Amino acid sequence: MIDADYLQFILAPQVINGLVLGVAIVLVALGLTIIFGLLDVINMSHGEFYAIGAFGALALASVGLNFWVILVLVPILMIPLAVLVERLLISRVFSTKDRHVTTLLLTFGLALIAEDVLKIIFGPNTHRPDTPISGATEIFGIIIPNYRMFLIGIGSLIIGAVAYTVYGTRLGAMVRAAAYDRNMAASLGVPVRLVYTGAFAFGVALAGIAGALLAPLYSVFPTMGRDFILLAFTVVIVGGMGSIWGALVAGLVLSQVQALASLFIPPVWTEPIVFATMIVFLMFRPQGLFGKIGHA
Amino acid sequence: MKKLATTLAAAGAMLAMAPAAPVYAQEPIKIGVVTPLSGSYASIGRTVRWGFELAAEEINSAGGINGRKLVLLFEDEEANPAVAVQKAERLLQVEKVDFLTGTVNSASTLAVGLLGERNNRLVSTTVSYADSITGDRCSPNVFRFNARAEQQSVALAAWLKKEKPQAKLYLVGPDYEMGRSTVAAFKRSAESVNIKSIGEIFAPLDSKDYSQYFGQIRSARPDVIYTSTAGNDTVRLLTQMQEFNMLRNVLVIGAAGAITGQNIKALGKAAEGFVTGIGYSAQIDTPENKKFVAAFNAKFKEDPDLFAADSYGMLYAYKAAAEKAGSTDTDKMREALRNLTWMTPQGQKTIRAGDHQAMSPMFAVRIENGQFKIVSTIPAAEAIGPDVCTRF
Repeated sequence: MIDADYLQFILAPQVINGLVLGVAIVLVALGLTIIFGLLDVINMSHGEFYAIGAFGALALASVGLNFWVILVLVPILMIPLAVLVERLLISRVFSTKDRHVTTLLLTFGLALIAEDVLKIIFGPNTHRPDTPISGATEIFGIIIPNYRMFLIGIGSLIIGAVAYTVYGTRLGAMVRAAAYDRNMAASLGVPVRLVYTGAFAFGVALAGIAGALLAPLYSVFPTMGRDFILLAFTVVIVGGMGSIWGALVAGLVLSQVQALASLFIPPVWTEPIVFATMIVFLMFRPQGLFGKIGHA
Repeated sequence: MKKLATTLAAAGAMLAMAPAAPVYAQEPIKIGVVTPLSGSYASIGRTVRWGFELAAEEINSAGGINGRKLVLLFEDEEANPAVAVQKAERLLQVEKVDFLTGTVNSASTLAVGLLGERNNRLVSTTVSYADSITGDRCSPNVFRFNARAEQQSVALAAWLKKEKPQAKLYLVGPDYEMGRSTVAAFKRSAESVNIKSIGEIFAPLDSKDYSQYFGQIRSARPDVIYTSTAGNDTVRLLTQMQEFNMLRNVLVIGAAGAITGQNIKALGKAAEGFVTGIGYSAQIDTPENKKFVAAFNAKFKEDPDLFAADSYGMLYAYKAAAEKAGSTDTDKMREALRNLTWMTPQGQKTIRAGDHQAMSPMFAVRIENGQFKIVSTIPAAEAIGPDVCTRF
C-alpha cells in the first residue's frame, strides 16, 4: 500500500496538514487552559474572543494597516476588553458557591451576545483577508503553502514563549504560586487580584492572536467562534485542565489522529473519534495526561 | 339635476382623458398567483410577482388576450404547501380563476397540482426545481415553465464536453442529502456525455480545513473539479486550493448555488474562472432580453433574475396558447400548450408534450473579474434530458 505516490501525495502532506491544524488548536487551547488552570473558570466565550481577534484583524486591515503591525496590535487591543470582562463580570460571580456553573453560564451568555454583536457590525456574510505570505514551496514533491510554514514557525515561537513565561520567569512563578494556593500566595505578597486579571487578559490576547493568524486560512464570519471551541476544550480536557504541556501534546496528537483517520474512514467520522477520546479520558483519567498548572 | 349633469360630464371628460386604454367588452381572464409574499422565500415571491406584473401590463396595453383583459390575483402561500392549497382553493372556488401559477416550494407546486386535477384547471410553476414535478409525479394539469434541476447539470456537462472532451472529473460535495444528490446528478450527466469521473469526496458540512483531502484529489490528477459546496464551505475549499497551487491547472465548476453574491467577495481571486450552469442571466445579448431588462429596470429599479424572467415568459406562453385555442377552456388550453413554441427573454422555449416541461436554452456562466459572464449557450434540446413521465 505504501508506494511513492501514496507517501508523497497523501501521507506526508496529511501529516503536515495535521501539524498546521495542531498548532492552530494549541494556540486557541493555550489561553483556555491558562484561564482554567489559574482562575478555575471555564471560559465558554473563548471562541468568540478568537472571532473578535479575527474581525479585529480584518477591520485593521481595511484601514490599510500592514499585517505585521496588525499581528502586534490585535493582542494589545484585546487586553482592555479582557480586563473589562474580568473586572466587571467574572470577578462579581467569582466568589459564589458554584463558581463553575455561574462562570460557565456567564461566559456562555457573553459568547451569544458577542456573536450577535459581530453579526450586527460586520453582517452575516463571510470575509477573508488576503494571505500575507503567498506562494507555496515544494519539498520532495510535497507542496506546502508558505503561509502555513510560517504559521508552524510563529506558532511554535508563541507556544515556547508562553511556556517560558509560565515556567521560567519570576512572573510565571507568581502565577503558579497563585494557582497553587491563592491565600498563601496573597499572604506572601503576590498581588493575586492583579495576577488573575492579568492571566485572563493573557489568555484572551492569545485567542485574539490565534484569530488574526488563522483568518487568512479559515476565513472570517460571525459564528467562527464555534469552530475551534469544541476541539480546544477536548484538547484541554485530554491534556489536563490547566496544563500547558498537556495542551501542546494533546493538541498535536489529536490533530494527527484526525488528519490520518480521515484517510481510512469517512471524514465525517473523524470528529466523533476525537470526542470519543475526550469521553474516555473523562471516564478513566479525568485529570488528563498532565497535572494542573502550579501542581506539577 | 344640474349637479348630476356636471358630474357626468366630468366623468366623461376623465374617461376621455384617460390613456388610450383598450375597452374590453368581455369578462377578464383571471390568473391566480399563489406565491410566497412573506417568510424566507419572500424575496423570490417578490421577483415572481414583478415578472408577472410587467408581462400583464404589457399584454393589457397591447389589447389583452382574445380581446379580454388579463387580471392577476395574488395570494401569499408562505412557502407552505398546506397554506398554498388553502389559498389556491379560495382562488378557484370564490374568484373562479382560469389558471393557477406562482408556487415556489416544490411541495406546494405538487399539492396545488392535485387541486388543479380535482377542479379541472391548469396549474403551472415558474420556480420549483424538483425533477419529480414533471417526472415521476407529473400531472396532465401541471406545466413547468422554468428549467428543472437536471437541466442545470445537463447544461454544465454539455458545456464541459465541448470545452474539455477528455476531462478527468473529480467531484466534491458537502456530506448531506443536498450535497450527495447534486454530486450524483452531475456525475450522471457527465457520464452520459462520456466524461470520465475519477473520484469523489464528501466533506462534512462546515469543514475547517479542506487541505486534508487535497492529497487524495492530487494523487487522482483530475483536470476538472466539480463542487456543490455552498456559502462559507466554498470559500474555504477554493481559497485553500489556491494556497496549495491547486487552482493552476484545474478547471473548477459547480452547482449554481456554490458561488453567489453572498460569498463571491470573500472568495476574491479564488472564484475567477468558476463555471456553472443556469437558466437565465440579465446579460443575455438578445433584443428580447435587452427590452425585458430595460423595462424591468425602469419599473422596479433592479435587474431581473431567473424567477422574474421565467414568470414574465410564462404569461406570454399563456397568451400564445389562449390565442391558438381561441378560448381559455381547460382541455383546449392543454392541447394548445403542448408543443407550444414561444419567445421569452432567454430565447425560444418549447413545452414538451410528453411531460409538460419547458425546454429552455441554458447558459454556462463563468466568473471573470468578479462578474458572471455568459460563456456558452446550450440549446434547449441538448439540456432537456429524458422524458420520464408515464402518466399521460
